[in-house]
Order: sequence, then C-alpha cells, then structure tokens
Amino acid sequence: MGFIIEEIIEKIGLKNPEHAAKLSKNLAGLEAEIYPASESFFQKYYAYLEKEGKTIDFGIDCYLHMCDDMLIQRHKFIETGKYTSTSFDEVEKRVYGNEAIMTYHMHGLVLGQFLWFEQFERFKFFKENLIKYFPSQGKYLEIGGGHGLYMLGALELLPTDTVFDLVDISQSSINLAKGVIDNSKVNYTLKNVFDISDEDKYDFFTMGEVLEHLEDPIAILKKLANLIGKTGKGYITTPINSPMIDHIYLFNNETDIREVFDKAGLSILTEKIVISEHISPKLANKFKVPIMYAAFVEQKK
Amino acid sequence: MEEQEILSQVVAIFKEELDNEEIELTMESTAKEVEDWDSLSHIHLMVAIEKHFKIRFTSTEISSFKNVGEMVETVKKRLG
Ligand SMILES: C[S@@+](CC[C@H](N)C(=O)[O-])C[C@H]1O[C@@H](n2cnc3c(N)ncnc32)[C@H](O)[C@@H]1O
Repeated sequence: MGFIIEEIIEKIGLKNPEHAAKLSKNLAGLEAEIYPASESFFQKYYAYLEKEGKTIDFGIDCYLHMCDDMLIQRHKFIETGKYTSTSFDEVEKRVYGNEAIMTYHMHGLVLGQFLWFEQFERFKFFKENLIKYFPSQGKYLEIGGGHGLYMLGALELLPTDTVFDLVDISQSSINLAKGVIDNSKVNYTLKNVFDISDEDKYDFFTMGEVLEHLEDPIAILKKLANLIGKTGKGYITTPINSPMIDHIYLFNNETDIREVFDKAGLSILTEKIVISEHISPKLANKFKVPIMYAAFVEQKK
Repeated sequence: MEEQEILSQVVAIFKEELDNEEIELTMESTAKEVEDWDSLSHIHLMVAIEKHFKIRFTSTEISSFKNVGEMVETVKKRLG
C-alpha cells in the first residue's frame, strides 16, 4: 500500500499530466520525509470528504481550479507588478462570502499543504519550534485556521489542558477546519481578526497566510502584540510575490515583512524562508517566484 | 508581420529575458528543449512578448501553447 499523497499525485496526473510532472519534479528527493508526514492529515481529510459524501476527486478538481486561478493571477501580476485587488471589502464580498469560491479555494489549499514542498517546510518549522515558545499551561489562538492543519499540529504538541480557540472570517473555512480537525476541544468563532477585542489575552497566537489578505497588516499586528502581552509569543507566516484571488497586500521581499513587524512592535525570535521552486534567490527575484516566509515573534523589549 | 520576422523578434526577447545569447528557436521548439524555459520563466517570457508586440494573450493561451509555432501564430493573428 502506498501513501495517500501518491494516489493524489497519480490522480492529478490523469487530469493534468504536466502539472503532476512538475509536482513530482519539485518533490524529488523529499518523498521519504513528506509522504509519511502527510499521511495522517490526508487520512483525516479523506474521512471528512467521505462524511460529506465526496471523494478525493472533488478535492483534486478544487486544487486544479485553484491552480488555474493562480495562473491567471500570476499573469496579471507579472504584467503590472501588483496584486489585482487592494480592497478588503471587495475580497470579502467576492471570496470569503462566496461559498462556492471559498470551498474550492480552501480544498485546493488542503492539497497544497503537502504537494508544495515550501508549504511542508512551513509546517515543519512550526512543529519543530512551537513547544519551545509555549508555556507549560496556557491559551492558544489560531487566526484564519482555514484547512485545520495547524490546529491539528498544536493539538498534537501542546499540553492537554491548553485552551484552543480558532477564529476565521469565512464560514466555509470554519466548516472545513471543524470537519478535518474533528476534536471537541477546539472552540470555533466566525470573526474578522480586526474584531478581536483588545481585552482578549492569549499566551500564543498562530496566524498563517493571513497578513497578505489585510489592507493594513501593521494595525492587526499591533493588536496581536497587545494580545500576547510581554510574555506571549506568536507564529506568523506570509508569502512574498504570491498573487492569489484573495491577496491584497504585496510583500516584495523579506525586508518588507521585517519592517512591518518592527513597526508593529514585534521582534523576530527565529525565522525561515523557502523559495517555492528549487532555484537561486537571484532567479527567484528576477522571475518574482513566490517565497514562503515564516517567523516566531514576541513583543519588542 | 510575417512569421519568420515574428520568430526572430521572439528569439531576441528570449535571449534578453533568459540572459542567454546561445538560444536558438524554431517553430517546433518546445519549453523542454530550451534551457531555463520552464513554468517559472514561462509567464515572464509571455508577458515580455505581449509588451513587445503590444498584444494580449489570454491566460488559457499562455498555459496551452504547445510550441513556439503556436505562440507565433497567435501573435500574428493578434497583429492582424
Ligand atoms: C490562505 S488561508 C490560510 C490557512 C492556514 N492558516 C494556513 O496557514 O495555511 C487564509 C484563511 O484566513 C481566513 N481569513 C482571511 N482574512 C481574515 C480575517 N480578516 N480575519 C480572520 N480570518 C481571515 C480565510 O477565510 C482563510 O481561512
């Protein structure tokens, strides 16, 4: 018996052979690490699909649909040097509030978490460091939980008496996260990160791939710096040069991201940067290839 | 503009964008045969061609050109 991810790549190959070949090429040499690491998440995803009366073919169609969107966005991005939308309200109406779009987009991202090696590296970095920065007892918040992978990682690693809260602006994302995580310890709230109260306090927050969806990332990061106080920590990831249907804030390089952290009063504890193709930073910059950026942060002393 | 003329201008764009004076293209050339012409550089090359000829490809066209010839034909059609 092979791994689920192998079946997924094989099935992608039946619908889009070039794309599957590219995935295999990018994953070459990493299979021994990524394939076993992806298995339990994909088992949970399969179980969720089954409960919904769907099969992995649905997930694969969503994924390929998302890849088509990415190509269109990339075409426009290379032409103009900008993301197509700059308005949060516009994206909220067109994407987060549109169940059909949000559903295929999030199911597409589910597969991307392990089919794309830089996404795997992002998760691995999270799992390797979370414990180091979490107190022996505490409250954990995830913002924009999406597909549920990161909450599952936290549930696996953190003490059992931890309070686990997940907020997301989209009901389809919450449904997906709830279904995949399938754990009654997690509290889900439909909420815009902007509406988190200044009275709320957490020991740790995780906010993966949300910053680029915001008009004013500094304002939100200031809020999160306040949320964790002097002793808490956070995990933030956001991509560079990564046009998508719901991205509005463009980071051109890691310096842009570090500057935003600094202006929000956050300092970096440790960070990880991975180019999404196996190429040099010089070429990545020339062709504006997406780059994964992740960091653990705390309030500036 | 004739196909051969379009092709020679396309070659010049490829050389410039991929920073490689050695590149030779025929109407039959495919991405596989040209060094550094892969999915990363592809959209870049296509946008450079759009800008040079002042035309627009659709995203579907960009992802489905099978060889240089198909792309040159499309440029020719757009130039009218
Ligand atoms: C690209 S997904 C990221 C999923 C996951 N966190 C990860 O790191 O892969 C973005 C998620 O953030 C949610 N989101 C976007 N803007 C938000 C906002 N202003 N407040 C709360 N959630 C938001 C979206 O609904 C979606 O579920």
